[in-house]
Amino acid sequence: MDFLKSMAIAASGLRAQAGRMRVIAENIANADSTPAKAGADPYRRKIMTFRSELDRDLEARTVALGKVRTDSTDFRLKYEPGHPAADATGNVKYPNVNPLVEMTDMREAQRSYEANINIIGATRRMIQRTIDILKA
Amino acid sequence: MAIADLPIFSMLRTRMAWHQERQRVLAENVANADSAQYRPRDLAPLKFDQALAASQTSQVSLTRTEGAHISAVGAPATKFATQSNGSHEVRPTGNAVSLEDEMMKVASNQMDFQAATALYTRSLALIKTALGKR
Repeated sequence: MDFLKSMAIAASGLRAQAGRMRVIAENIANADSTPAKAGADPYRRKIMTFRSELDRDLEARTVALGKVRTDSTDFRLKYEPGHPAADATGNVKYPNVNPLVEMTDMREAQRSYEANINIIGATRRMIQRTIDILKA
Repeated sequence: MAIADLPIFSMLRTRMAWHQERQRVLAENVANADSAQYRPRDLAPLKFDQALAASQTSQVSLTRTEGAHISAVGAPATKFATQSNGSHEVRPTGNAVSLEDEMMKVASNQMDFQAATALYTRSLALIKTALGKR
């Protein structure tokens, strides 16, 4: 049934957005993770990628999670000579996570998630209408 | 003559199939709202003579001769024509899905579908009246 296909496509969107949320949560949680050893690299921000693939069963392009890439921008440097992870010059590398960027990303993921939920709701109501014909 | 062969019913069925197909295309657009290089698609509006023709001709499709074969779908094959709508806003990632537009389309699709099913129900009631069962 085609309506169930619509729901399956929307569900693929839900899954993808939830995975994106997971990576955002990881970034925010690690926003201040300093390196373990002196002069080493701290947590590197992760970026989720989406892949749209042709689902032969559904005859539609569903969305799936692609590879998790890392952000190659520079780390934030803070001068903290007393810090255990400080290098020879007294600088500590902090992760290249910008909480503001993560928050906007999170809002976007939330918005897309809600849109997919909306599709499922609308499809469900349409199925209900079809069943209502039987009751006539 | 079966009830399903009455012109009003077969045309309403075509209409409902069109809405069903459109719902699938819209779901695809929303699911890919964050995929790079994705352009939204929509179904071409259903024309009266098209609907009439669709209600009268039978579809030709490939059959599977063995259960192990996969069904022959190269590209998303629909019996209704799809069109990419001239989108106004393309994001830097090459994605042109506007969630607001899609939500509006989903709502109108749902309402039109509801109208079609209501008409179907009414037509059934008319036949019941003619049969004297009310």
